[in-house]
Amino acid sequence: MVGESRLSKGLVILTFLLPSLIGLILFNIIPIISSAFMSFTDWDMLTNPKFVGFQNYYNVFFNENSIKSIVNTLKYVVGFTPLVICFGLMLAILLNIKITGLDVYRVIFFMPVVISWVVVSLIWIWLYSPDSGIINYLLSLIGINGPAWLQNEHTAMPAVIIASLWKDVGFAAVILLSGLQNIPDEYYESAEIDGANSIKKLFYITLPCLTPILFFLIVTSLITSFQVFDQVFIMTKGGPFGSTRTIVQEIYENAFQMGKVGFACAQAWLLVVIILVVTLVQNILQKRWVHYESK
Amino acid sequence: MVKRIFALILALLMVTALFVGCGSDKNEKATNDSEKVVEENKSDTPDTQPKEKEAEPVTIKFIQNSANGGREDVLKSMIDNFQTKYSNITVDYEIIPWNDYYTKLNTVLSAGAEAPDVFEVGYENFAQYASKGLLKDITDIVASDSEFKTENMKKLAFDAYKFDGKQMGICTDFTGCIMYYNKDLFDSKGLEYPNENWTWEDELEAAKKLTDESKGIWGTVSPLQVYEFYKTIAQNGGSVWGTDGKTVTVNSKECVEALQWMIDKSYKYKVQPPFTSDIYTQPDADWRAFEEGKIAMLRNGTWQFGEFEKNAKCNWDIVLEPGNTQKAHHFFSNGLAMYKNSEKGNAAWTFMKYMAIDPFVVNTRIEENWNIPVLNDDNVMSAYYKKTPPESKKVATDLLDSLVLPPLGPIPEKWAELQQVLGEELEKAKYGKVTAQEALDAAKEKIEKLLQ
Amino acid sequence: MSQNNNKRAKRILLHILLILLSVLFIFPFLWMFMGAFKNDVEVIKMPPTLLPSKFSFDNFRTISKLFPVGRFLLNSVFVAFSSTILQLLFCAMAAYVFAKIKFTGREVLFTLFLITMMVPRQLTMITLYRIFVNLHLQNSYLGLILPSTYNALGIFLMRQHIRTIPDSFAEAATVDGASHFKIFFKLILPLCKPALATVGILGFMESWNSFLWPLIITSSTELATLPLGLSKLQGRWTTAWNLLMAGNVISTIPILMVYLFAQKYFIKSLAHSGIKG
Repeated sequence: MVGESRLSKGLVILTFLLPSLIGLILFNIIPIISSAFMSFTDWDMLTNPKFVGFQNYYNVFFNENSIKSIVNTLKYVVGFTPLVICFGLMLAILLNIKITGLDVYRVIFFMPVVISWVVVSLIWIWLYSPDSGIINYLLSLIGINGPAWLQNEHTAMPAVIIASLWKDVGFAAVILLSGLQNIPDEYYESAEIDGANSIKKLFYITLPCLTPILFFLIVTSLITSFQVFDQVFIMTKGGPFGSTRTIVQEIYENAFQMGKVGFACAQAWLLVVIILVVTLVQNILQKRWVHYESK
Repeated sequence: MVKRIFALILALLMVTALFVGCGSDKNEKATNDSEKVVEENKSDTPDTQPKEKEAEPVTIKFIQNSANGGREDVLKSMIDNFQTKYSNITVDYEIIPWNDYYTKLNTVLSAGAEAPDVFEVGYENFAQYASKGLLKDITDIVASDSEFKTENMKKLAFDAYKFDGKQMGICTDFTGCIMYYNKDLFDSKGLEYPNENWTWEDELEAAKKLTDESKGIWGTVSPLQVYEFYKTIAQNGGSVWGTDGKTVTVNSKECVEALQWMIDKSYKYKVQPPFTSDIYTQPDADWRAFEEGKIAMLRNGTWQFGEFEKNAKCNWDIVLEPGNTQKAHHFFSNGLAMYKNSEKGNAAWTFMKYMAIDPFVVNTRIEENWNIPVLNDDNVMSAYYKKTPPESKKVATDLLDSLVLPPLGPIPEKWAELQQVLGEELEKAKYGKVTAQEALDAAKEKIEKLLQ
Repeated sequence: MSQNNNKRAKRILLHILLILLSVLFIFPFLWMFMGAFKNDVEVIKMPPTLLPSKFSFDNFRTISKLFPVGRFLLNSVFVAFSSTILQLLFCAMAAYVFAKIKFTGREVLFTLFLITMMVPRQLTMITLYRIFVNLHLQNSYLGLILPSTYNALGIFLMRQHIRTIPDSFAEAATVDGASHFKIFFKLILPLCKPALATVGILGFMESWNSFLWPLIITSSTELATLPLGLSKLQGRWTTAWNLLMAGNVISTIPILMVYLFAQKYFIKSLAHSGIKG
């Protein structure tokens, strides 16, 4: 910006960043670096760590569970992220239309987000029941004999994804809604004067103006869905036969139940590298499709 | 306005910085203090009974999980009573939910500073902590304490907390698994009630007669998971580990037969619901169905006594589980162990002993229907047996005579992993992905990998 | 006229669509709410019932006997509010720098912030606990609050919003001699209300629902938050589902209230809507 000495600019930057920097270093960088050290050891949290070099990293790639859990996580990410963004976008656009009772609708669609997985999973376990669940009942009406969703290794992951979509779509919608609110009315007004219809307005105003928030949502929902844990842990415990076991569940159990903190750290680092690559790719791609007002 | 907010932030930052700065100072002081305490302890607390002299006030830290989920008040009354009895000892205790207990315990132990003096451990984790040298050897303390008589404890349960021949903890209480049966259903078919001499064959014959699919009534229901499995194979003379304790025999003929039997009840004889049915997949559905009178025989835990007394709509009783070639039962034990670095050994032992044998604790447990004390003293236990239902309450402690411990084998520290690999293979067999033989062959291979 | 009819028809269609979707989304909440008034047998009956056969407040009474609900609720409110307010301020300040002030290493530093989101919390917790023990902040309110004053996701979201505000705005102000502090507080923050509201509700929810960290860092009941209280309803063998429903009703309603409050800022008032530029 203009008209400042370097020193005062530096000072401004520092003061504005300081609180977050303290949080960054103290609560994050130090623990992260220490987890990097741990990843080269065999440590159970209880006895002294033993240095094992790259053994843990070697194991990450040659351990059946570890690879399987990464594949499961990828399935979840691929199944969940695009859909949650699409549905979230549709919902946000619906909830941005000025109609009566809007406030009520907005609260209702947010409700699943705030209810705990412990309660929500009860409902979904019942919905998926092959004996008395509604889903298989509806399928039977159109002549389909539904599977035992959560007890079948092919349907368990899709079932978890569907439940997660239902729970998180309101979250995505709220974030997109805040972006929609930021679009100046003047844009729409002048477009209306030019005689644009609603489809045109959607593609030429709404979506382009929403791209920064859309970018944020894609990046963060990828990061969080790579770390999917709660719903699997509560609904399926990773079963049947490990078909919904995700990498973070692996990490958690290895660290706290199996006494393999070093191995868990190595797995975590592999996860970080995967997410980082995905995020950096998006960061490069964003230049092609994200429109910032200031440019 | 802006300036004020800015000032506020600066102030906050300074406070934070202050905390960070002071933190390290305090820390040094703290360690110095604790060193002093160690020295003092060494010099003037020999192994005498703390009760007799007016001992200095001590605070012991205690962490446990079994009171979570409704027994918090009961534990509190026990600890309050302890503190009145031993006025110099304060118990600073914490109750952690079972699911996260070992996460918290391990994290706290890993940081050292806040570690508890006494903590609760189940047998499985006891062996693991003991093998890692985290527990204090209390063999001598137990031997020299005249108030504590080992012969008053149920032997198998008490000895479970020995490691390498040394007493490293004491078993205080347990819950076991037995067979519940619905008397009304047996009566309606004119069948004899199950007794302790029953075998699998008898169970099957009765179950066939009792099952009535049109009314949704099932003859028998048993879960199929790791704990149920190691007990059931023992009922058929099998075991996960061979007699040398090192070879994996999980795919032996006895084990395969036992697993086959567990599966056949559902799919061949159809006296038990399929494993994908609501009774198996919905939370709490199995014992709720028993309460509703839909199950004639149910293998479940002694923790249901209070629940069934309150909600069961049928007459019921318990019996030892039928075995095939021999009797076998499994239990979930709670024991207390002392942390190796605890500097309050005497107070800690006083508390451990209190929780195991003190009449107040034992009677409270019995009155509140909270787990079963491991005492072998019929005078005390008669109160327990008299508290019905179930009528055959003695079964709950009789099961200890044919106890099989979790198959930790030579790798107690890998029990969680063993449970996972075995559990996954059992699940495959349960849902019909593989045969019993294939599942156990695969399990053997995977368990052998853990040995390396 | 026909245009008006057309519009009305569209509106009715929209309402029908939204109402149908609403049923799907509100059902679990209703079921949980009703479950709070059922007894232990009815609450997980198969197939589930919606209305309790007998309305009773017993569950709420039992819970308040099991643990000090009021105290836990107060702790939760205090911890969640203070960490959210601090978090909002810190995030907005950092986001302003990342969005509007150019300096070398900005992108690298920002990526560093992003990376902290990628490491599973469960693991960094082990070291974080040690740090807090060394700072003597274990079992204290600060120990509960401080970690959630930092939120990389919040910084990121705020940055995205601030970036959409035209530079010309801030430049005009700078020419007028306004300092960064003035620009930030007088100009940027008011324009970011929707974003602040979003980060606020997200941060509040995270702190409100946080379970593992409070469990590790606190050791006395005086400091326990509501999720720790709720975990007392799940024993190793049995779960008191009816109490759990009641407990979850108690813990869900405050978040919904905060959401309702924050929502006012999602809907811009017309006076503030336009960015004249």
